Amino acid sequence: MAITVMDLTVRYKELLAVDSISFSVAQGEIFGIIGPNGAGKTSTIECLEGLRKATSGEIRVLGIDPTQRRELYQHIGVQLQEASYPPSIKVEELCQLFSSFYSKPLAYQGLLDRFELGDKKRARIEDLSGGQRQKVSIILALLGDPQILFLDELTTGLDPQSRKDMWQMIKSLRQEGKTIFMTTHYMEEAEYLCDRVCMMVEGKIAALGSVEDLVAQMGTGQTITFTTLDDVNELEQVPGVSRVEVNENSVQVIGHGQNFLKDLVVWLTNNQVNFDNLTSKKSNLEDVFLKFTGARMEELQ
Amino acid sequence: MRAFYAMLNTELKLTSRNFIYMFFNFVFPPMLLLLFGSMYGNQPDEFYGGFGAVDVLTPSYMPMIIAVAGLMGLPLQLAMYRHYKILKRYRASPIGAGTIMWPHFIINCLLCIVGIVLLITIGILVFDLRFMGDAFQFCVALLLSILAIFSLGFMIAAVAPNNRTATLVANLLYFPMLFLSGSTLPRELLPEALVTVSQVFPLTHSVTVLQGIWLGGSLGDYTLELAVLAGFTIICSAISVKMFRWE
Repeated sequence: MAITVMDLTVRYKELLAVDSISFSVAQGEIFGIIGPNGAGKTSTIECLEGLRKATSGEIRVLGIDPTQRRELYQHIGVQLQEASYPPSIKVEELCQLFSSFYSKPLAYQGLLDRFELGDKKRARIEDLSGGQRQKVSIILALLGDPQILFLDELTTGLDPQSRKDMWQMIKSLRQEGKTIFMTTHYMEEAEYLCDRVCMMVEGKIAALGSVEDLVAQMGTGQTITFTTLDDVNELEQVPGVSRVEVNENSVQVIGHGQNFLKDLVVWLTNNQVNFDNLTSKKSNLEDVFLKFTGARMEELQ
Repeated sequence: MRAFYAMLNTELKLTSRNFIYMFFNFVFPPMLLLLFGSMYGNQPDEFYGGFGAVDVLTPSYMPMIIAVAGLMGLPLQLAMYRHYKILKRYRASPIGAGTIMWPHFIINCLLCIVGIVLLITIGILVFDLRFMGDAFQFCVALLLSILAIFSLGFMIAAVAPNNRTATLVANLLYFPMLFLSGSTLPRELLPEALVTVSQVFPLTHSVTVLQGIWLGGSLGDYTLELAVLAGFTIICSAISVKMFRWE
């Protein structure tokens, strides 16, 4: 196992940020923690990185206790949420500086080229775009040729194109054999990237498993949406319905069962509801989150 | 060691890009000396206890240079590095705490020394500045002044909960010290009450010692002042080490 965590608890005075969680991460997998702000994602990842002291519990990262910070960092690389760099420093100067931290650093020129920053070497860090700055963060994390890469909300605040670029990068790093431990609050990011997903809410693990397994646990779940001006208050009578949301004239129904779609349409027809724009899609991670936490991610932000 | 030199080298480059620090360490003190030197000259004068004005003013400007580096430069840099999580980013690497912290101390020390040498050079070239003391003893007093003021600066960075508080506290200490310590205004011009108040500032004692030894005194004449400076060094360093947080 690349990482094992046993009964990790982090308490800040009155606040219980992480409440006795346990999990392990295999070598070579992309493991993601997903959850709303304040769920305990960053507290957890920072304990693994040796930057925060656990109140209790046992952590091993590549067999190392993370409080042995200097030994740990010979083998891991991190991108921190919201970390920045000294003002007016140039990209190349940062790369040289961080290279000096490791006994056998990778050549930064190769990394700059790979991340399409070869022509930005002399640019000051504050003159880069958000996406370029995040690429620099990854380059610095990779300089020591780490076995595990920790990414804390890597794509938060990036535009959609930069986010897609990052996703490709992360996939290609995994293909090179790196283990990736990441946090995110984007469902589609976890769904696309992670081999296994750990859902955290209020310091606890709400669900943990591969995306397919988690979705399969939902049964043959479906989300059906349509528009109508008519009254649908009694929609919950339809067999298999687990949740109905009405937003002005748009209705969303979540449920499961083999005949769910057919039963719903029959009910609408029998009750003379005029509906339009009906779509149906299979359950995804978003619905899993809803099922395990009873709320949507946005509602918890 | 390689990481340490790389850090020192990087911080040195960054400091040289910071116009404000360069101005207040290298340009402003000689400007003051040129201004007041050209007004009062360097002829022996009753008001200056029979010494030339420039001979008296030059050593009194040195604590001002130390205060710019130690009380503004050092704590504000560290507080800013902590605020923007730059210190935290360095912690997330295999380097030790000393590699992160010492370069800041060394570079600000270097700024002080270069600023002081520059001031002396201009004094000699323009006003025939005279040095009447013992060079070794003067260097000891200078070093102790640097340690005392830098420890106070480090304590501000360690104790202040955030960037804004650090800036506020540094300013609240720096400006009164500048005007009450005798560094920029002769203490003889201040009312009695303010002279008494000024005794709480380490800068005041630094001015007394440096001026005294420069004009021919010896370390033995200033045991009280030296003890105060040593006390500031020990107490402030101890508090800093105990209270310092990386984020």
